[in-house]
Amino acid sequence: MTEPVASRPAFAHPTEEAFARILDYYGVDWVYEPRTFVLERDEDGNIAAGFSPDFYLPDQDLYVELTTVRPSLVTVKNRKVRQLRERYPDVNIKLFKRRDVRKLMIKYGLDQHAEKILGTEAQEDV
Amino acid sequence: MRWYPPEAYAALTADVSEIIISAEEIDQRVEEMGRRISEDYAGRNPILIGVLKGVVPFIADLLRVITVPVEIDFMAVSSYSPEARDRGVVRLVKDLEVPITDRHVLFVEDVIDTGLTLSYLLRTLRARQPASLEVCVLFNKPKHRLVDVPLKYKGFDLPDRLVVGWGLDYREQYRNLPYVGLLKPEVFQEDVQT
Repeated sequence: MTEPVASRPAFAHPTEEAFARILDYYGVDWVYEPRTFVLERDEDGNIAAGFSPDFYLPDQDLYVELTTVRPSLVTVKNRKVRQLRERYPDVNIKLFKRRDVRKLMIKYGLDQHAEKILGTEAQEDV
Repeated sequence: MRWYPPEAYAALTADVSEIIISAEEIDQRVEEMGRRISEDYAGRNPILIGVLKGVVPFIADLLRVITVPVEIDFMAVSSYSPEARDRGVVRLVKDLEVPITDRHVLFVEDVIDTGLTLSYLLRTLRARQPASLEVCVLFNKPKHRLVDVPLKYKGFDLPDRLVVGWGLDYREQYRNLPYVGLLKPEVFQEDVQT
């Protein structure tokens, strides 16, 4: 269920907190990083790679990952999302890339957040 | 068919890089939607509800091609504000003037993107216990849907690009373009940078 305002999680990035506030405003329940998906294990069965999507929307059964890194650095995130979809085909996840996050911030009037993730690469399709 | 001389819109067209849906295509699709709605709602006296302001061109066109008795009403909601503290309380700037209890309601939208506003409004309308509640949308942008909403009548799927025209705005401009076009990147880049 949605975290009460008084006990907000420690968001890793200000954009995540802005996103949480937007969801709150529209009454959409969310959970922050509720689950780590195992993507790879080593020979001894230990977790070699995992992925914790930023948000889970329980009513939609949807995970959401936001990333503000430049397209040139988004390869790792893309690979993790692809691996997650391969290993957990029943899991729904949406990846909001840099330009998507920027557009989302503009759409909801959060120009200051949009400016922080401004750059020519933000306009590129990746 | 209406005629929109391109030169008459030169001041707006200069900011558009490409027309992706023409006025003719929109007219034809809206007519098809109106025909279906007329068949589905015959004898049910539906009420069309739109959210200001983007829906105005679409709902006006749709209304003209629906051939059964129909009523119309509008809502307006406040945009998201970073200062908002109350959870799940979107402010209704303008509420309906007509009660919808036991009425057949068709919620008309120009565009659905994340689905956040629409899902909130549908919850609000459902609480008023209409006889039925369906959604009619002209433009659908599914890529970033966060809340799934069943769309009974749908016009066009739009690409994940910044599009304007036919009610779709950027910074309250371009709604009056008689087609849907891609906004040139330099237009919104400059805006954010200033």
